[in-house]
Amino acid sequence: MKLKKVVSLLVASTMIMATLAGCGSSAGGAAPAASDSAASTDSSAASDTAAADTSTDAASGDTMEIEVYDAAANYQGLQTGWFDKVVKDRFNIDLNIIAPQVAGDAIYQTRTSAGNLGDIVLLDSVDFADCVKAGLIKDITADLPNYPNLNGYMDQIKVYNSGLEGNNGEIYGIPTQMMNTSPIEYSQDVIYSSPLLRWDLYKEIGAPDIKDLDGLVDVLGQIQAAHPTNDAGDPAYAVSLWPDWDGNDNMMGIANVVQLTTWYGEKIKDSAILKADGKTFVPLTDKTASYYKMLKFLNKLYKAGLVDPDSGTQDWNAACAKMSSGQVYMFWYSWQVGFWNSQERLDNGTAMIFVPVADQNYYADADAYYGSGRVFGVGSGVDDAKYQKIMEFLDWYASPEGLEFQHAGIKDFNYTVGADGKFTAINDNALMDNLPVPEEYGGAGYNDGNNQINEWIVSANAINPNTGETYAKDYWASWKESTKTQMKQEWADKFGAAEPAEWMKKNNKLVISPNVAVTLISDTADISVIRNQCEETLEDYSWQMIFADSDAAFDSMWDEMTATMDGNGYQDLYAFDCEKWQPQIDAKNALLK
Amino acid sequence: MNKKKLRGYREFLYVLPFIILVLIFAYYPLYGWRYAFYDYKPPKTLSECAFTGLKWFHYMIDNDTKRKQLFQVLLNTFGISGLSMLFSWFPMMFAVFLNEIKCKPYQKFVQTVTTLPNFISWVLVYSIAFCVFNSTGVVNTLLQDAGLIDKPVMFLQSSEHVWFKMWLWLTWKNAGWAAIMYIAAITGIDEELIDAAKVDGANRWKTIWHITIPSILPTYFVLLFLNLANFLSNGMEQFFVFQNSFNKNYIQVLDLYVYNLAMGSGGYSLATAIGILKSVVSIVLLCVLNKVSKATRGEGFI
Repeated sequence: MKLKKVVSLLVASTMIMATLAGCGSSAGGAAPAASDSAASTDSSAASDTAAADTSTDAASGDTMEIEVYDAAANYQGLQTGWFDKVVKDRFNIDLNIIAPQVAGDAIYQTRTSAGNLGDIVLLDSVDFADCVKAGLIKDITADLPNYPNLNGYMDQIKVYNSGLEGNNGEIYGIPTQMMNTSPIEYSQDVIYSSPLLRWDLYKEIGAPDIKDLDGLVDVLGQIQAAHPTNDAGDPAYAVSLWPDWDGNDNMMGIANVVQLTTWYGEKIKDSAILKADGKTFVPLTDKTASYYKMLKFLNKLYKAGLVDPDSGTQDWNAACAKMSSGQVYMFWYSWQVGFWNSQERLDNGTAMIFVPVADQNYYADADAYYGSGRVFGVGSGVDDAKYQKIMEFLDWYASPEGLEFQHAGIKDFNYTVGADGKFTAINDNALMDNLPVPEEYGGAGYNDGNNQINEWIVSANAINPNTGETYAKDYWASWKESTKTQMKQEWADKFGAAEPAEWMKKNNKLVISPNVAVTLISDTADISVIRNQCEETLEDYSWQMIFADSDAAFDSMWDEMTATMDGNGYQDLYAFDCEKWQPQIDAKNALLK
Repeated sequence: MNKKKLRGYREFLYVLPFIILVLIFAYYPLYGWRYAFYDYKPPKTLSECAFTGLKWFHYMIDNDTKRKQLFQVLLNTFGISGLSMLFSWFPMMFAVFLNEIKCKPYQKFVQTVTTLPNFISWVLVYSIAFCVFNSTGVVNTLLQDAGLIDKPVMFLQSSEHVWFKMWLWLTWKNAGWAAIMYIAAITGIDEELIDAAKVDGANRWKTIWHITIPSILPTYFVLLFLNLANFLSNGMEQFFVFQNSFNKNYIQVLDLYVYNLAMGSGGYSLATAIGILKSVVSIVLLCVLNKVSKATRGEGFI
């Protein structure tokens, strides 16, 4: 009796606690996602076991679990939902995704030192080369030719593998996002990073020409002044940043700032900045280079009250929730529009679109003919049965059918097939609104069940042999037709080009960096310590600088930062990085000649 | 003689399991210290890495910036530990006052509610903190509605009073749990003493001051010394979840620093070297405390 009482008391208090946490989230539109993810480290373990239980029950215990060590994933745990169903129906496997972006890089170190990274491995090419050297990756030379879809990319695969140190024709890795065009062309309509504004709001303030970054601050200021909240009444800001991605993708610094440097044709290569000429390096800590410039720009936005105050502490999920509820007025990643632009919004002119800033010229990586830099491989520890399954799966993953699922979605849910065999997109808000998928695919939310591997062997812009069009809907004739909205027309009339990339090419504002396959040297123990200490210093100070109250404070922090970084050995690091990236730069320039 | 020897062996067998345990869990891990003397970098194995001697120990202090960084980390460690030491009487007083609540159900309720946070993981504590204190959280919304502020206050993002705030969180989480020991000690006080004091005309305050507190003071000292021995290891989960770019300078304690360096950045060798340094400082600290204790109380505690 007494025990029961104690237990019920405990349960009651726990629930009070839970409600308390819930209270906060209902007060702010962004909080629910944030609290979810903050708790996810804990709860994912619980949900994993739950998911594992049900799957073994359902699939009569035969299902093979494949561990995918995935440097691209934003999700950790078993793949669920419709994509899981698609994969399980074909191969009877479960994908258990291990995501260093969720679990922290430590997982790379612990797993490599244990000698087994995963069954399928997806890594950045430098790490991949290290792992091949350490014997963690299986040699797939003998079996690869038996898989027709992968075999179709043999040329590019060979070029990548021949770049591995001491390689004599063995094949270990399969590059990602390969294409079949040319390594010096840019064939997309939009580039990865450029200023994107809400067209209706931009028009509302008179669609002024934007001269430079100050002009952009001004425009954003006017937009936010006119609309301090979104339609639901939640506070809206010109920009909302998130710290989770800092230091990723071989670029030191705050991920958001790092991306903005491409607006001036510059590209960060670790601790160095490659200038727009594609030949010269300057240190990241150079005050005349673009990292300082873009940081200052964000600080200006902050001082004008245009930066979301939660930027430094919120996570990616919270930031996404704000994007899809219209609480952010400027995007700069091309994928961000997926959280906002729907057919309806394109029709009524409230969608996001590129608005040029006169003094900018934009950096873009050319078509990823040789791949985007990440590499798929098979773990050396797999047994034969598993190996067979993995190769079958990877082959399917590179097949037209697999790619249709990855890039276009589910037939008759995301698109319909016309009499001519070409696709027409439907339900294009499926990702944004997490629409329930058809019952035969399990009925859960589309976004929840989306492919969590988040990396593709073949690019979305490659041509689908079944349709003669790209896999991604953006270049389908039907999509182009339907997106020829009034808004697009107005945009074209104002800027004199049909698409952003076309405008950039026409006005000579596009710096295209050729795609090459060069394997870079990996860090020594000294350099990796220096790199990480410098990176931590750079990130911490950068965030503080964005939120600095005056120019003087900003500059004194910058000086303090460079002094600290130099003390931690930044100059050695810069010298190392220049040497590290030089072969790639040489290869790029050789292609351009 | 032979019998005595046999008994010796038998008794040795009695303690053998414990010796093995100590060897495995306390001494075997020291073998890992060898990482500090190599340029270790996964995925290579240690035997493939170069032996570098004391390079990493030297690296820690070979210029001003690094010395300053290490000093700040030590300062944070001592600051946060010192603060909790300074307020270590808090759970005791809490227990004393809790004991004075005469309404039993209410007393049990308070005790349960204050003990409960101890069982919540720091990750969840942070998610609660984020919900309550973010720019659109309860606190900011209430303050704004009341017209006290017009811009949301970024509680989690400020670099002010970090040590104190961390102490508050720790107390919120631990006070009830820490009080349990004192409550047990209080129940052990002889009722007759209190009755006698009452007969002599002592009021409630006087009973507390002259009976309760002196009776539980030995417990307090034992716990205090246990804490002192752990002075350098103030844990890292709490600081790990609360750290961000804005407060890192004041929140990074030794354990977190080692973690950030090793796990976050792959500087295993350097992190191991700092770990060794920590152990050495801890031993020195313990010896000093023991001396102090001998000098002041007449007896050491080791």
